[in-house]
Amino acid sequence: MANTDKQVNELIKREYEHGFVTDIEADTFEPGLNEDVIRRLSAIKQEPEFMLEWRLKAYRRWLEMEEPEWAHVDFPKVDYQNIAYYSAPKRKEDMPQSLDDVDPELLRTYEKLGIPLHERAALAGVAVDAVFDSVSVATTFKEPLAKAGVIFCPISEAVHKYPELVKKYLGSVVPAGDNYFAALNSAVFSDGSFVFIPKGVRCPMELSTYFRINAANTGQFERTLIIAEDSSYVSYLEGCTAPMRDENQLHAAVVELVALDDAQIKYSTVQNWYPGDENGKGGIYNFVTKRGACIGKNSKISWTQVETGSAITWKYPSCVLRGENSVGEFYSVALTNNYQQADTGTKMIHLGKNTSSTIISKGISAGRSSNAYRGLVKFGPGAEGARNFTQCDSLLIGDQCGAHTFPYIESKNKGAIVEHEATTSKVSDEQMFLCRQRGIDPEQAVSMIVNGFCKEVFKELPMEFAVEAGKLLEVSLEGSVG
Amino acid sequence: MVMTKAAPTLNADFLEAAGSNLPSPLQTLLAQRGKALVDMPLPTRRTENWKYSSRYLQLSDAMASALPSGRKAGPALAFDGYHVVIHNGVVVPEASDFPDIDGIEILSFADLDDIAAQQLAERLDNTLDSNAVQMSRLNTARFEDGLFIRLKPNAVMEKPLFVICETDAHATGSVYPRIYVEAGTNSQMTLVEEYMSTGTEPALVNTVSEFSLADGANITSVRLSLEGTNTQHIGATGARLLANARFDSHCVGFGGPLRRHDLQVRLEAAGAECRLNGVAVTQGKQHYDNHTTIEHVAPHCNSEETYRNIAADESHAIFNGRIHIHKDAQKSNANMSNKNLLLSTGAEIDTKPELEIYADDVKCAHGATIGRLDESALFYLVSRGIDRREANTLLSMAFINELIAQIPVEAVRETVQARLNQFIEQTFKGA
Repeated sequence: MANTDKQVNELIKREYEHGFVTDIEADTFEPGLNEDVIRRLSAIKQEPEFMLEWRLKAYRRWLEMEEPEWAHVDFPKVDYQNIAYYSAPKRKEDMPQSLDDVDPELLRTYEKLGIPLHERAALAGVAVDAVFDSVSVATTFKEPLAKAGVIFCPISEAVHKYPELVKKYLGSVVPAGDNYFAALNSAVFSDGSFVFIPKGVRCPMELSTYFRINAANTGQFERTLIIAEDSSYVSYLEGCTAPMRDENQLHAAVVELVALDDAQIKYSTVQNWYPGDENGKGGIYNFVTKRGACIGKNSKISWTQVETGSAITWKYPSCVLRGENSVGEFYSVALTNNYQQADTGTKMIHLGKNTSSTIISKGISAGRSSNAYRGLVKFGPGAEGARNFTQCDSLLIGDQCGAHTFPYIESKNKGAIVEHEATTSKVSDEQMFLCRQRGIDPEQAVSMIVNGFCKEVFKELPMEFAVEAGKLLEVSLEGSVG
Repeated sequence: MVMTKAAPTLNADFLEAAGSNLPSPLQTLLAQRGKALVDMPLPTRRTENWKYSSRYLQLSDAMASALPSGRKAGPALAFDGYHVVIHNGVVVPEASDFPDIDGIEILSFADLDDIAAQQLAERLDNTLDSNAVQMSRLNTARFEDGLFIRLKPNAVMEKPLFVICETDAHATGSVYPRIYVEAGTNSQMTLVEEYMSTGTEPALVNTVSEFSLADGANITSVRLSLEGTNTQHIGATGARLLANARFDSHCVGFGGPLRRHDLQVRLEAAGAECRLNGVAVTQGKQHYDNHTTIEHVAPHCNSEETYRNIAADESHAIFNGRIHIHKDAQKSNANMSNKNLLLSTGAEIDTKPELEIYADDVKCAHGATIGRLDESALFYLVSRGIDRREANTLLSMAFINELIAQIPVEAVRETVQARLNQFIEQTFKGA
């Protein structure tokens, strides 16, 4: 196996591809956080009064809160006064009116990332909202979307154009004081995407956002709000990258989904923030609150995530199943390598009758990483006939890593049924032998086996993401067998 | 999010001096441990391992006083074996029938000589992770007596030993029974612990049992928690296993105002294995909380854990099982299963099967379910003329009997079956 180990090790050493820095002029705040910073931020965005009030309220809540310590991760404390809370590429005009107005340097960045922003966007049929550091730089395909009645714009624009919708739904799923990082985000969020799908509309294309942290010493705090009215459907994709830097950067986002009667929201994420180098230096702290509320009858929210990046991940996309017969789904592949730490999972809160949820979580740990699934399945007294199925599988690659499962299951209704199962295993010698015997080289074999392990989740991803996810795994995993 | 208030601390009355009849090394130990508990914070909703149970913990000031001992208590089970009676935490030799077998020492702590007491003082609490069983630390500050069992290498106790721990709750107060078992190489025994109470005043039973198993030792432990309606029970059992030792545990618990059992097993050398079975049933407004931890410290160890809960009416049953595979514990096999029956919408079941794994060549799995009785099975029985209540009872019993049937002591098995049956029948009295 010595030869295999060597090849495998070479593979592991493959570096982070998106680690370039874009040289771009940027307006960046001095590090530090106080009410003035929030006022300035709000002023730059020319926000209406209600937004400023909302932010300040969240900030005051945040000051009273304590940083959570229950997650199975270990990292030096974040100095919140040492982070710049706003960084925006400098613009000549106030807002880019079309792609031509966007700084070509920026476009090149996205090109390097392989985002289908331009014509490629047309080919892929994806409408992209790209968030660079803290602000939305371009939103493609506004027109065909507008024709269908779909609103897809930066949230900073929505605040001006659709204040009623924002007022009604912002913070309705993740209240400003929900948790430490959500409160911080509510106070300082700079931009993000806003999506509104009106009654009966099936969004004609996949919507997508790319997030990129570029500037040093900045935090990224974006906020996404998706509202699907009665009988509508939307599929939303999210991708993330960041440059390689020695210091850790903070990313604290909030995503809120609202599904009304018979509406369906499918939210897919490929998270590839910079994970730090092989010694665990640098990397993004990814502390994200994602939650969807199935308010209406027969509504459905589905989360699919492929998590390969970030030094530390702390993320629990959840569903509150309030409407009768509503459905929540969570499909996740979380891969950690080197010194990465992930504490991720989901919450399924069943409140309505006959609600059902499915959780499929695949954790892969390699190197010296630690990968934990933490989940909550809860049936309220009104969740008559509710159903949950959970499966958490962990795959360990190497003897220095850890894989953990912390599922909380709470039931208060006798008519509810929950089933949970979890397994932990490794890439077995037999599997490797079988592949190698057939002439498949070791790293390909590992990749095949891991891909097979994750298949259940990948098949939930939209096509172009599924391909990307598969590749990403190969890169991140790199034959950690040995 | 609510700001954290200062957690309530243990009433100083709980730390009154104890164990005046004990040999001096043990008295020193009690005093030391007592000192360490001054201002000990009591668990709250925010204490992870008491998250679901802290609200049931009702320590009144009156409970701090130790219940007086001395009354002669009789055995409750008809059995074929030896027995020891512990009354209000004190061993009562005149009511006991100690076995007289070569290589087996059974003594009360009070009868230990100073050298043995010193050795014991150094070993007490070694099987338990005191951070995880914080309330059981109180036991080591307060026990008045205890049962010491030592099996010399190759000693075999053919018949089971019954330890009847009776709490006389005719007054409010607390008792602190303590059992320590040291099993030498290749020794064997079966120990049945039965916790019961008389009287109806609110009382607290805080009990700790420890097992230390040398190479090849084999211990079967049966634990029955059968106290009356006003008795709170906080129990901890710890076991440490060396090479090829085997620990077989059967716990049966009936709900109460607060019922808590922590079971911690450490597999410390290759070939050690444990099987943990548990059943808990609750009704009315009762509570039962089982917390188990299996530490796979060494490679090539096996563990098998099966727990079943039934919660009816407005009761609350909790299971928290943790399997921890240490870094070099390769080739570990661990299986955990927890199934729950929720019989009423007013009741609550919370379960948390955890895995914490730091070795790659292991096979670990856990499963947990919460559900109700199968309607079609019920219909099948009812359509054949079995009345609803009986059908319900039958199916509920079937759910737990798989585990009860594995209790190796016939007398215990039958008594437990009868009591469970009666309990479950009562649950369905309205059906």
